[in-house]
Amino acid sequence: MKATAQEYDFHQRILARDDPIAFAQLAEALYAPLVQDVGRRAGSNCDATLVEESVGQALLDYQDKPERYDPGRAGLRSYLAMAAYRDFQNARAKEQRITRHQVSLFDPNFQEQDIADSLGIADMVEGHVQAEALWQIINRTFPDARERRIVTLLMNGIRSPEPYARVLGLSDGPEDERLKQVQLVKNRITRRLRRRITQELQRTGGTIS
Amino acid sequence: MNSKHPSLERLALLAQGRPNLLAGPLALYQEQEGLDDQQLAAKLRCNIEVLPKLALCERPRPAPHFRQDIERIARYIQADVMQLALLIRAAESREALSSRQNAALPALLAARDYDDDEDEAGAGDE
Repeated sequence: MKATAQEYDFHQRILARDDPIAFAQLAEALYAPLVQDVGRRAGSNCDATLVEESVGQALLDYQDKPERYDPGRAGLRSYLAMAAYRDFQNARAKEQRITRHQVSLFDPNFQEQDIADSLGIADMVEGHVQAEALWQIINRTFPDARERRIVTLLMNGIRSPEPYARVLGLSDGPEDERLKQVQLVKNRITRRLRRRITQELQRTGGTIS
Repeated sequence: MNSKHPSLERLALLAQGRPNLLAGPLALYQEQEGLDDQQLAAKLRCNIEVLPKLALCERPRPAPHFRQDIERIARYIQADVMQLALLIRAAESREALSSRQNAALPALLAARDYDDDEDEAGAGDE
């Protein structure tokens, strides 16, 4: 099915690169329906965060390279839903590989493993630390604004390396190297935060509020 | 952006990695100025709920289109045109400055982690 008149109009505006609000309006119109489309295909037990992130990546990729979409072949919503679902499947496969190596924050044998990808910080502290207290710890632990932005991305479960690379100013150089740098910083920041939270939990006997 | 649009908020966070959108420079500006969403919205004289939409706007084109683009964005989010123009200019300046300073940032963050370890080992109270 071809693009609807509205989809075609959005596409032309985004292609033209002369309307700064075109993409935001497209996101307003399509983000929630796409999350529903992909969520439905992914199944009722799917990771909703992963679905949202996949839809987000598909939209942002389209905004970046709208010329890849052919409105004569498919509707924009269908095209984006397919792209997002493909991303979702890839991300889910990666998550499943990582989960096999998942470890507990409170495992005494757990020392220096890479946990930034295998376990979100939000999951680590859930049920143990109140949000306000957590941000107090974060502000004390990370006086640098860029570090706090990295923490914010981690706390929101953002998996894509691009926002991290952007915060770190890693726009040049080989992709492999950038990914490595991002992972290095994520791991170290996660370790510092985990260590500090663990210290607080130990100090207060299990909860921070 | 921790407000009442969870869906677009997440998209706005992801968009921080896209250099042609406003999400990145706005986040940097907020961090450097120490502004939360409420304060940013007050500065722009707009509703806090439109901030994710602002983050998803494309950067205004340079002159002679800058003014026209700013006016379009301001109308879209119902913000003060002059405040928006000043804020975007400031955010982009900070971003340019920051990207120069960021060249050695990953190494710096690694060093900070190391220092933290050293402090803990030295102080023995952590």
